[in-house]
Amino acid sequence: MTDAGPPPDPVLGAHKPVYGLERAQNENPLLEGLEGERRAPPVALVVFGASGDLTARKLMPAIDRLACRRLLPAAFAVVGVARTEWSDDDFRSRMREAVKDAGPEWEAITSRFRYVAGDYAEPATFEQLQSVLDDLDRTVGTAGNRVYYLATVPTVFGPVTRALGDHGMVQPASRESFVRVVVEKPFGHDLASAHALDAELHEVLAEDQIYRIDHYLGKETVQNVLALRFANAIFEPVWNRRYVDNVQITVAESVGVGHRAGFYEQAGALRDIVQNHLLQVLAITAMEPPAVIDSQGIRDEKVKALRAVDVLGREEVLDEVVRAQYDGGWVEGEEVKGYREEDGVALGSPTETYVAMRVFVDNWRWAGVPFYLRTGKRLPKRMTEVAMEFRDVPHLPFARDLSRGLRRNALVLRIQPDEGITLRFGAKVPGQAFRVRTVSMDFSYGAAFVEEPPAAYERLLLDVMVGDPTLFIRTDEVAEAWRIVEPILDSWADDGVPLARYAAGTWGPTAADHLLEREGRHWRSP
Amino acid sequence: MAQPLTLPVTLSSWSGAQVRVAEVLAELEALRRPELMPATRTSVLTLVVVASSRDALGEAMAGVYELGGRHPARVLCLLPDRSGDGASSGLDAEVRLLGGEAEGQAVWFEDVELVVRGEAASHLDSLIEPFTLADLPVVVWFVGELPRVDDPLLRAADVVMVDARTFGDTECFDVLTELARRVAIVDLSWHRLQPWRELLAALFESPHTRPYLPGITSARVVGRTGPRHLLAGWIADRLDLPFSEVHVEPATHVSISLAGTLPATGQHGTFEVLRLSDERVVHTRTAVDGGPSSEMVVPLPPPTAGWGVAAALSHLDRDPVYERALRSAIAVAARH
Repeated sequence: MTDAGPPPDPVLGAHKPVYGLERAQNENPLLEGLEGERRAPPVALVVFGASGDLTARKLMPAIDRLACRRLLPAAFAVVGVARTEWSDDDFRSRMREAVKDAGPEWEAITSRFRYVAGDYAEPATFEQLQSVLDDLDRTVGTAGNRVYYLATVPTVFGPVTRALGDHGMVQPASRESFVRVVVEKPFGHDLASAHALDAELHEVLAEDQIYRIDHYLGKETVQNVLALRFANAIFEPVWNRRYVDNVQITVAESVGVGHRAGFYEQAGALRDIVQNHLLQVLAITAMEPPAVIDSQGIRDEKVKALRAVDVLGREEVLDEVVRAQYDGGWVEGEEVKGYREEDGVALGSPTETYVAMRVFVDNWRWAGVPFYLRTGKRLPKRMTEVAMEFRDVPHLPFARDLSRGLRRNALVLRIQPDEGITLRFGAKVPGQAFRVRTVSMDFSYGAAFVEEPPAAYERLLLDVMVGDPTLFIRTDEVAEAWRIVEPILDSWADDGVPLARYAAGTWGPTAADHLLEREGRHWRSP
Repeated sequence: MAQPLTLPVTLSSWSGAQVRVAEVLAELEALRRPELMPATRTSVLTLVVVASSRDALGEAMAGVYELGGRHPARVLCLLPDRSGDGASSGLDAEVRLLGGEAEGQAVWFEDVELVVRGEAASHLDSLIEPFTLADLPVVVWFVGELPRVDDPLLRAADVVMVDARTFGDTECFDVLTELARRVAIVDLSWHRLQPWRELLAALFESPHTRPYLPGITSARVVGRTGPRHLLAGWIADRLDLPFSEVHVEPATHVSISLAGTLPATGQHGTFEVLRLSDERVVHTRTAVDGGPSSEMVVPLPPPTAGWGVAAALSHLDRDPVYERALRSAIAVAARH
């Protein structure tokens, strides 16, 4: 062996593929083999609304997890912006407390945190912010890269973005640097306000700078729907009207309105869950296979699926949508109040805490297949799933009394909390008689993979930093979702649809059961 | 970091002396009688542990059990006993059904321990096939000693797992290099070094530091015999550094220091990934003339065997970067 460096490799080739003389100027040969792991580039994360709940509860733990997974660069800093009069040290200390059981890395990261106290309407706030960011570029090496995270009430999305534009803070400093803005839902409260918000954002930002976050898409198991559908040959052939009888998508919460009454009274379940989470899950379930799993491929197909959803007419809303509100009851062993007795809720509040609806996706694949969607608060348990029930066999050759326990085949994608897949099918009961009954075959993600999946915010924060918008909502998706939801809101505004009642701890009102029973179907018991 | 894994418990077991494989398979099936069927069985591989001694097997199995609740596999432990005479040739078997919990769900997995005596110990490969789970990769973990390159067990393995650190020398790199030409190798030692590799690579992901990469002129790696050579080999290979500029020294913990100059201006930079104490954290430091300096503290994964095995089992492919690092490590070891 000489000092000339490693010899040519007899197995892997005489020439090294990516380094040595052939190495491109910009490549980092140390990264080779550390495949698949995307790491954040140097960046300053600016959080507007930094003194709020979302920052402490979701963003800070996500940042710590990214650090523990070695996905954050040394040149990383957070700048908090809010009206609360905190100093840098106050902010650091609050954020340190926000992550329970953090290791020594959290102390080190938060030591680079900065804070700007100020009103979003005051130019001085943004001047000070700019000065802090310049300082971070010099001292920490954040390289002019910015992610502005709007963890604020929606009413200030527009003003903050405009102010950033006015102060020249949304233009990347160089060709290599980036500026991105993360917007939290709700994206408007109807189609018109969504358009208005978009117009405000687009005044100063290009669409590819805007990252509309729906944390549901960051869930590993939502992404697994794509893997299940498009990485397997056995599911996609039956994923259509020829074999599927109906699709049931459930987003159930066991909690009540909690401390969100102020927001929830204005929003209700339709805006809070259906317009975004539920329709996003529907889009991923119903979409066509994209040519490539990338931001354009997936989002183009999701938009097409949403566009195919048949918009209900005002009269149809009466027949196809059930809205309801919870009364008192028992959930998970505890007695709970009815919605109208919750703090911050008006006595005669008409806000729906439950929605069930039937929609059709009018395209070649799904024509005639009902998609039953339901969401509610104070349901018996927290769970989200997509259940695909298949058609009956053309002819059942078993004696009726020996096959009573047989139900339709079903493929259930459990999104949370017990992530996995269940396949329901018929099997013979051991014995002399040919008795058949339904059995379930379970696959649990937790039991099959050792890696702890990233939490939704962890995944999405990293996506923003590396510039991957695949799991974020594009402006046309927002518009299509409002197109589906708005006629329902209009109909309800006329008081045309009764507000049904359901006891907390049940699966919703009987009217929701009738949606399916009139067609000889039943909701799954998740 | 992630939740600690809870150790699985033995749900039922069976053992027998001087048994035949068919008996063992029947008992294995019997352990899974329907009364306990609600538990999930999700296997992702067949893990064969070939141990040179009962002590070595015990250490390996501690990691496997810890792992079991999360990464269930059928585990076949082979303990060859070549000490006896021909008359005592045969198998003693112990079969256990273990139950763990993953994400709130009960998960079962089995382990089969075979003490193989006499002539049968020279035909361990014939014992693997009857126990493999269909369509799943077979990982053969050699504990305590490395196989010969013509070991018939290699034919039964999709992946061979080893822990180079346990051999305490650098001669094992020669054997591993030869083995790597025949089968995919998963080296626990290499996976343990991944945090250092990731962090060192990440130091050059900033526009202030990336230009230094072609100008790295020397590297110093400290650590135990084996890991420090492997890491130094990796750096020499990746950065095309002459071996004369790659220095290794013994130490309790692994640390790396690189130094270099910016080719265009001659500005100096140092880049370090240091483990300074028994505390399970690594410090990274960058200092470049006229540029921002940075420091970071990053926790290391838990030291338990289960986590190392789990990380390794997540990468069951051939790793060309590792294979190159091995070859370079031989050259580094030859100089030091």
